[in-house]
Amino acid sequence: MSNAARSGAERDVQQLVPDVPSLIAALDDGDYLADVGLATALFLAVRLPQPILLEGEAGVGKTEAAKALARVLDTPLFRLQCYEGIDAGEALYEWNHQRQLLGIRLAEVRDAALNESDLFGPQYLLRRPLLQAIEHPGPRPAVLLLDEIDRADAEFEAFTFELLAEAAVTIPELGTIRATHPPVVVLTSNRTRDLHDALTRRCLYHWIDYPAPARIAEIVRRRVPGSAGPLAQEAASAITKMRSLDMAKPPGIAEAIDWVSALSVLGITHLDAPTVEKTWGSIVKNRDDLELVGARGAAWLVGDGHG
Amino acid sequence: MADFSAAIIPPGVEAASLAAGLVTALRRAGLSASPDRAVRLAEALRLIPPFAREPLYWTCRVVLVSSREQISVFDAVFAAVFDALIDPADSRGPAKAPPAIGSGARLRPSPPSGLTNAPNSLPKASPPALFPGRERPEEEAGAERAAILAMASTEERLHETSFAELSAEEVARVRQLVREIAFSTPVRLSRRTRKSSHSSARLDIRGTVRAARRAGTDATRLFYAHRSPRQRQLVLLCDVSASMEPYTRVFLSLLQGAVTGARAEAFVFSTRLTRLTRQLAVRNPDQALARAAASAPDWAGGTQIAESLRRFIDAHGRRGLARGAVVVVLSDGWAQDDPELVAAQMERLKRLAYRIVWVNPRKADANYQPLVGGMAAALPYCDAFVSGHSYAALAEVATAVRDGRRTTQERQGTS
Repeated sequence: MSNAARSGAERDVQQLVPDVPSLIAALDDGDYLADVGLATALFLAVRLPQPILLEGEAGVGKTEAAKALARVLDTPLFRLQCYEGIDAGEALYEWNHQRQLLGIRLAEVRDAALNESDLFGPQYLLRRPLLQAIEHPGPRPAVLLLDEIDRADAEFEAFTFELLAEAAVTIPELGTIRATHPPVVVLTSNRTRDLHDALTRRCLYHWIDYPAPARIAEIVRRRVPGSAGPLAQEAASAITKMRSLDMAKPPGIAEAIDWVSALSVLGITHLDAPTVEKTWGSIVKNRDDLELVGARGAAWLVGDGHG
Repeated sequence: MADFSAAIIPPGVEAASLAAGLVTALRRAGLSASPDRAVRLAEALRLIPPFAREPLYWTCRVVLVSSREQISVFDAVFAAVFDALIDPADSRGPAKAPPAIGSGARLRPSPPSGLTNAPNSLPKASPPALFPGRERPEEEAGAERAAILAMASTEERLHETSFAELSAEEVARVRQLVREIAFSTPVRLSRRTRKSSHSSARLDIRGTVRAARRAGTDATRLFYAHRSPRQRQLVLLCDVSASMEPYTRVFLSLLQGAVTGARAEAFVFSTRLTRLTRQLAVRNPDQALARAAASAPDWAGGTQIAESLRRFIDAHGRRGLARGAVVVVLSDGWAQDDPELVAAQMERLKRLAYRIVWVNPRKADANYQPLVGGMAAALPYCDAFVSGHSYAALAEVATAVRDGRRTTQERQGTS
């Protein structure tokens, strides 16, 4: 990493995020519940600053963490969804050729003088997330989310990291664009392949564990308006119970939120076996799982106690 | 994770030496932690002063750990180092663990001695752990390693002889040959495009305009792009249970050759599943096998095919590793678990994979019929079923991997 990255965060950011407890509180204000581990990880990512790699099962809130962080810092979030074959044109910048041609034609028709520099002006530049994050004028650094980095090719990974280490982009026609506020970088991975050592070496790392029922209930209450009362707690413990089964696709937090939303749309305030049976579709998304859960029965799921 | 008793670091310990000491201890335990991590940790500790154990734990973990598999080792080392430090009178700490932070250089013990005693490690004969690679019974692995690393001479007749009948020296020779087998999988179209001169390909408007702009004229020449072909992912799942033992010593070399030569993903299983791609990805074969032996804890155990397949699919396969891939299972199909469960998992795998090749050394026996148990259950989902019991037979495996979707039987039938 460059020396710039070693100088610590800007004063503005330091004041905004003085320590871990205040970051937890701030995330909480933004309706994101983080435990000490995750908050420590995000705190260090912002304050060192250093890119952070978040891993965890699908639906534990990896992407959401980056969004919440952007809310805390009150800066925009630039998200790059990675996929196989993604290249610089889709990640960094591209010239808008069609518009350039149109510009030339228009100039011809109007008999206007047209310089080359006009054609390579900022209005013809298509800015992709990486460039947007680097160009972000401040006052605080933007949050750059590289989602599912494991889906991109290994070469792209290396390219991205070079760029972020430099915090500068050179566009031949425009010159070098240097970040005044190098972005806070959050990466997520689903572990479909081993990430390159060079990447893991440069990153902080945090594995997000699946939260306990009480926390799920709290998250659901925050996310679904009008889900106060016992419904969130009941749904959370039902889902936790379901996770103890050997399911192909265990329901996650996203399913819990969907489910409670569905239940509140249906006007249900208390969970019982018939309502569960009516709303399987919100939580079980695989036929094998449906059979498995169906065999245990909805009554078991909402059964009394926590056993 | 150990308890978070509110213990406080003695005031005399400064962040830099604390960081250096922990990194050293981790490296002794086999966790690759480069010196720049120590620097980073020292900085992090400046931002989050370690007043209690919990913030200290999280700070160290976030900075020093770089994958989920490392967490258990980290926990053990962290407990060993800091519990001794935080409370010197505490006798729970392992006797051989580093005595204090930043103590002088000392020879690296080949098995991380601190680990076996650490509170986190499980008893040896435990049921399958939740995650692969959690525990490391070093003595077992050491013996296996010694067996694997035997070396010697060459002979032609080795080609046809079953691996089970080879002597230790012959195995070493065959392993060398086996490592050279080149695997290539069927191709698929990637999302990447290449320039093409054929007008049958898709018109590349951007490329055309870019070229026209360079030439300073209107578009006079059209450019085309076609999606470039790419080899499918190769995934090898090798059974290392007791019944497969005569073959595993050679199959491991096959795995290593595939990992280094064809960028395959390699897993071994018996009662649990261990990903070995990392360990096998070094060029030096002896080193690779030693690393593999050290990290898979269940050599020559029982076989739980269904359970191992399920773990593979849940943790790796459905996340993308097996999607559209060629999956090779090397196993004799003697499973402890219910054949129905094997069938269910094979069906799941079949839905993900492009092609499943099953390599069963027992098939070489003329009297062998896959009628019972796991093998019979798995067979309907396999695209190819080959023996791979000798070097010559491994050529069949390479062919089966290279073939398209059609099964070998079909191919023989139509030609």
